[in-house]
Formats: sequence, structure tokens, C-alpha cells
Amino acid sequence: MELIKNTRIDFIGKRKWVYLFSLVIIVIGMTVFGLRGKANFGIDFVGGDIVQTRFNTSSSVAAVRNEIRNLNIPEVTVQEVGTEHNEFIIKSPPDTSGKILATLEARFGKENIQVLAKSVISPSMSVTLRKRALTAFFAGLLGILLYLTIRFEFHFAVCATIAIFHDLLIVIAILALSNKIIDGTIIAALLTIAGYSVNDTIVIFDRIRENVRKTRSKNYLELFNLSINETLSRTILTVLTVIFVDIMLFIFGGEPLKNFAYTLLFGFFFGAYSSIFIASAILIDWQRKSAFRFRL
Amino acid sequence: MMRNHYIKVGFILAVIAYCVWQIYPPEKKIRKGLDLQGGVHIVLEVEQPPAEEKSMSDVTQRALEIIRNRVDGLGVSEPVIQKEGTNRIIVDLPGVKDTQRAVEIIGKTALLEFRLVEEDSKKLSDVLKGDSDVLKDYEVLYMQRKDERGITRETSPILVKRQPELTGAGLVDAFVGYGASGFPEVNFVLNKEGAATFAAVTGENIGRRLAIVLDGVVKSAPVIRDRIPDGRGQISGDFTMEEAKELAVVLRAGALPAKVNIIYQQIVGPTLGKEYIEKSLRAALYGVIVVVAFMIVYYYAFGFLADLAMAINLLILLAFMALFKGVLTLPGIAGIALTCGMAVDANILIFERIREELRSGKSVKSAIESGYHRAWSAILDSNITTIITGTILFFLGEGSVKGFGLTLSIGIIANLFTAVFATKAIVDFVVANRRIETLRI
Repeated sequence: MELIKNTRIDFIGKRKWVYLFSLVIIVIGMTVFGLRGKANFGIDFVGGDIVQTRFNTSSSVAAVRNEIRNLNIPEVTVQEVGTEHNEFIIKSPPDTSGKILATLEARFGKENIQVLAKSVISPSMSVTLRKRALTAFFAGLLGILLYLTIRFEFHFAVCATIAIFHDLLIVIAILALSNKIIDGTIIAALLTIAGYSVNDTIVIFDRIRENVRKTRSKNYLELFNLSINETLSRTILTVLTVIFVDIMLFIFGGEPLKNFAYTLLFGFFFGAYSSIFIASAILIDWQRKSAFRFRL
Repeated sequence: MMRNHYIKVGFILAVIAYCVWQIYPPEKKIRKGLDLQGGVHIVLEVEQPPAEEKSMSDVTQRALEIIRNRVDGLGVSEPVIQKEGTNRIIVDLPGVKDTQRAVEIIGKTALLEFRLVEEDSKKLSDVLKGDSDVLKDYEVLYMQRKDERGITRETSPILVKRQPELTGAGLVDAFVGYGASGFPEVNFVLNKEGAATFAAVTGENIGRRLAIVLDGVVKSAPVIRDRIPDGRGQISGDFTMEEAKELAVVLRAGALPAKVNIIYQQIVGPTLGKEYIEKSLRAALYGVIVVVAFMIVYYYAFGFLADLAMAINLLILLAFMALFKGVLTLPGIAGIALTCGMAVDANILIFERIREELRSGKSVKSAIESGYHRAWSAILDSNITTIITGTILFFLGEGSVKGFGLTLSIGIIANLFTAVFATKAIVDFVVANRRIETLRI
């Protein structure tokens, strides 16, 4: 079967619209991100308690919230999980989960409440976790960038890098817009996106290099469009297979993998998008401005 | 030439057989992370003890030894207790049943002190009014009692001497018994020096009260009726049987040299872990099925070949985990599933290239040759960037994220072997010595 064959789409020509589209998402998303402040981050980065409880009888978020309200603890969130109306995840500031649990046990009966999981992260530990996540994130990015510079001509490496940052910014923007929380696993997802989404850019740049060498043509715009079209089917197919798996993880993987899969989904999608629409377009614009020749 | 193909295919079969042998049976061979089998992960921070000449690192080391003794009393099969930096201790207790109790046993300082009670009620009221003169030698401690709802409350203040007469350092044994009233209590036995001091103190202070203080809380303050010569005594208090047992365990292991704070604790119950495994494995399976079906529909026999390579990839990944005792976590399962989705990428690059070469008019055999040859550099590049990500996450990631980094990087490394070498060997094996005019790909 061959779904994508002999396309002749002018990807580069539409670049102004593409830039605008990405810019709008990033600007809106980052504004929301800025406004949310600490609320962007999970308790492993800001400290706090999470308790996952299962009740013997079904209850509701409102009922649980009602009991906790009397304790006057600020910023407590109660979230229902599963389908039985008896499982709740309660997030609260550091060192408050004990009090909350005691209150719930007093109200609903100790034997009726099961603590499925519990995380307690002190502010001092959250500083450590934050530092470590940032170190991992930037070490990973640096590694990828370093590899690109060694492997590719300077201008190519810079544009591939811009594409990576574009993908990460868009995903962070989408996370902020969809009220998601960034924690350790999301950082891992972001880094995975950085490592994976650059692949399609590499394939396209590889083809551009091949075509520039082969044709010796100076009509870069046409050459770039040709290269993107020639590699279009593999760009889409490779991402598609990963997205298949990711969607299954999102739908069936259970609560803890949901946000991870959600982040990856947008990351993979916009990774392919930026490979097709952004990376080469920026390269063209740059070339037109400073009129360099590709040393290949 | 033909012999060469046999050797390659034979090698692949050998790899498969070896992997299966390593993995089987998986539930025994693959180590599950805390998030999947349940358990406790704790990070403790040791406080700088006042007036301690020894370095912080030594204090932490001593605390670690004592915690190790306490954990031994818990009966966990593979506990991990390690020092981090100068003042932190990491404790992993996979599969521990009573998680709450484990946390309490580890985090308790368990500093046992015997302090004389000042009975002069005027002094106590002076202190409570704010007279600081008395506080040079004395301090106010409280007793704790549980109310009918099981919530701990502080009760009457007691004025005790600052200087303890004796500490739990002289303790050689502690065990649970029942007191005269039928409630559980903890019996202790002191060593020779401890017994001598205890005898002297009790002998000199008959009629006064001796407060038994644990971690700054008065457990009981019995009146000394007689000199106690044998170094034996009881700590009674408001104990349940569990609490008494717990106290006996920590007293036997000894007090920590400094106060420790639990700065991170992660508890996963066994039921949740089981659910996580079921759901994530099912999701991974669905994902793989979709990819497998897609490849066959899109590339026919070659798609099947890519699927075969993916299966070998999966085997190598799991065998590696079993062989090097890699820990499988929930994100790790996601990593395995994603690896399967990425594993076929290399084959897609190759197959698309082969199609292109065929379109340009090449013969089947040379199209296959140059398809593999030309796709190689892009495959290597793509895999390397993902391997960089995976390795960094394995080494610098925290907790279960490590497991993701592990499966991702191993899977993608194995992919270079399976997607390129293995599929090529099989294709060569099939194509060799045959005339093939057209190729359905």
C-alpha cells in the first residue's frame, strides 16, 4: 500500500502562515504558563502531599472536599479516578496528608478507607528533584545539540535546534492551556520529544544534502520543497507508528501514564510538523538573508 | 555466499534462543520497580546534632547502620539502604507489607531518656508563666494520650531535669510484655554500667518520679518505690500491641545519633501496583498489535519482516533486563511500548528507500542493496539522538523515570541490530540464488 506518493506540495511557500500559527500558540500558551506560576508544576517540584485512597463504598468529590474544608488547609485538590466513584487522589501542601487522612478516617471509618499510594515531598526534597530534573533536561538537550553540530553543517544544526525548541515550547504551551501539570515524568516526555522529533528533521536534511550535491542547483527553495516531498511519506509513517502506540497508552494505560502519553502525543505530532514546515523554512530564510552557500 | 547467509540466520536464531532462555519465566526473571510491586521509598535528612565534633558524614553513616538494623527487623527481602551526599539516606523497601509501620520504624529517633521529675509545682507554674531562670536546669515536657477518636493529644505538662540520668545507649534488650493492668508494655534490660547507674539513681530518689522520655515525649512517669538493682524495667504507656512491638524493635536497634527528617516518602500499596501492571501491559499490547497490523497492511511481506525484527528487538530488550537485573517500572513499560513503535521506523526508512530505488528503474536486488545502504546513515542518526535521551534519563532521572530511560535506550540500541542486520540477513537468505523480477513492497 502506498498512501503518499508523488506529492508536490509547496511547504516552504506557506511558511509565513506556519510561523504565525506556531507563534500564536506559543505566545498564548506561554502567557497562560506565566500566569499559572507554581500551579504549572507537580508536587515533586514544589513540595506537597499526594494520597490516593479507595473507599469501600462509593462517594463523591464533593463529599470528600466537604470533610477536608473544615481543616482550613489552603490549596487542596480532590480528583476522582477510575469508574467506581470510590477512588480519589488528594493533593495538599507539605505535611498535611496525615491530618486529612485522620479526618476522613474519623468521618467514614478507618476500615472503610484504603490508602493505595502516598507521596510526601518536603520543600527541601523538591528543590533537589527540581535541580535534578533540570540537569537531566539540559544535559539531554546539550547532548543532542552537540551530536547535531558534529554531524551536520553549522546552518543545518542551528535550524534543527530551533525546530527542537519550537516543539518543546509548543508542547509546554499546550500543557499550560490544557491545565496539565509538569512533573518528573513530563520532563522525561519532553526530553524524549527532543530526541525523537529531531529524527524527521535529520531525514529531510539528509535528503536536502543529497539533492544539493546531486543537482548542483542554486534554486534552494525548489530543492528544499522537492526534498520534503520526497521524504514526506516516511516522515509521516514513522511518526504514525509511534503515535499509534502512544494513543493506546493514553486510552488504556491507566491514570499515571495518561499525562505522559498526552504530552508525547502532541510532541510527536508537532515534531513531525516542525520537521516538514519549520526547520527547512528557517534555513531558507536564513540563506536568503545572509546569502551563504552550503558547504556539503 | 550462500553459506554466509546460513551463518547469519543461524546467529539470529541463536540470539533468539538465548534471549528466551534468559527471560523465561518472566515474572521471576524481571525485577519490578517499587511502583509495580508496591513498597516504600524514603529519603531521610539527618539533622546536624548539637555539640557533635564528628563530621556530618560520620553521623549519617552511624544513622545508616542503625536504620539497617531496624530494617533487618522488618523482614524485607531486598532492601536498599544507601547514603547520598553527606546528610541524606535513601531507603528502598520493595514489597514491604505494612508500609506505614515501616516508615514509622525507620524515621523514629528512638532516643530513650530517664529524667527525674521536679515535683515542686511552684517551679512548674513559674516556668509556664515565663520565668526563664528555672529553664537552665529544667524543661517542660508533655505526656501524650490518644482520645476516643484515636487522635493524639498532649496532656499535662511535667517539669523534668534537663540532664538525663540515663539514656537508652545502655540498653541490651527490649521485648513486649503485658503489664499488671493487662495492657501491652515494653520491657527493657540494661547492660552492666547502665544497670549500675540505674540502681544508684533509683536508690537515691525513692519516692520521686522518674520520667521515661522517648523522643522528647513523656511515655510514663512512675514513682520510684524501691532501688532497682538488676537493670530491668518496663515502659508502659498508651500502647497498642503494634506500637509496643514497634518500640521494642527500634529500642533494640538503638537510637539514631541525631534527629532525622523524612523529606521524601513514596508509598505504593500492592493492589495499585498490580493494577498498573495489568493496564499498562494491556495498553502496550494493543499498541504493538496496531503497529504490527499496520506494517503488514502497508508493506506486505516486508511489513511482516519488520514485525519479526520488532519481536526480536523486544526479546533482546527483555533479556538484557533479566541479565543485568534492570528494574522494570511503569514508565519503563511505556518505554518498551514506544520502543516497538520506534523500532519499525528504521524499516520504514529502508522500505521507502527501496520503493524509491525501484521507481528509478533499478533491479530488485540492487534496489534492496542500495535501500539498506542509503538508509543506514539516517537510521544511525535517528537512533543516536534517542539513545542520548534515554541514557541521560537513566543516569540522571529520578525514581521510576530511570526505568523509562533504561528500556528506551536498550530497545533502541537493539534496534540497530534487529532492524538493519537481522532483516537484511533474512532478506538475503530468501532472495539469494533466486531470480526475482518484481517486488511487492
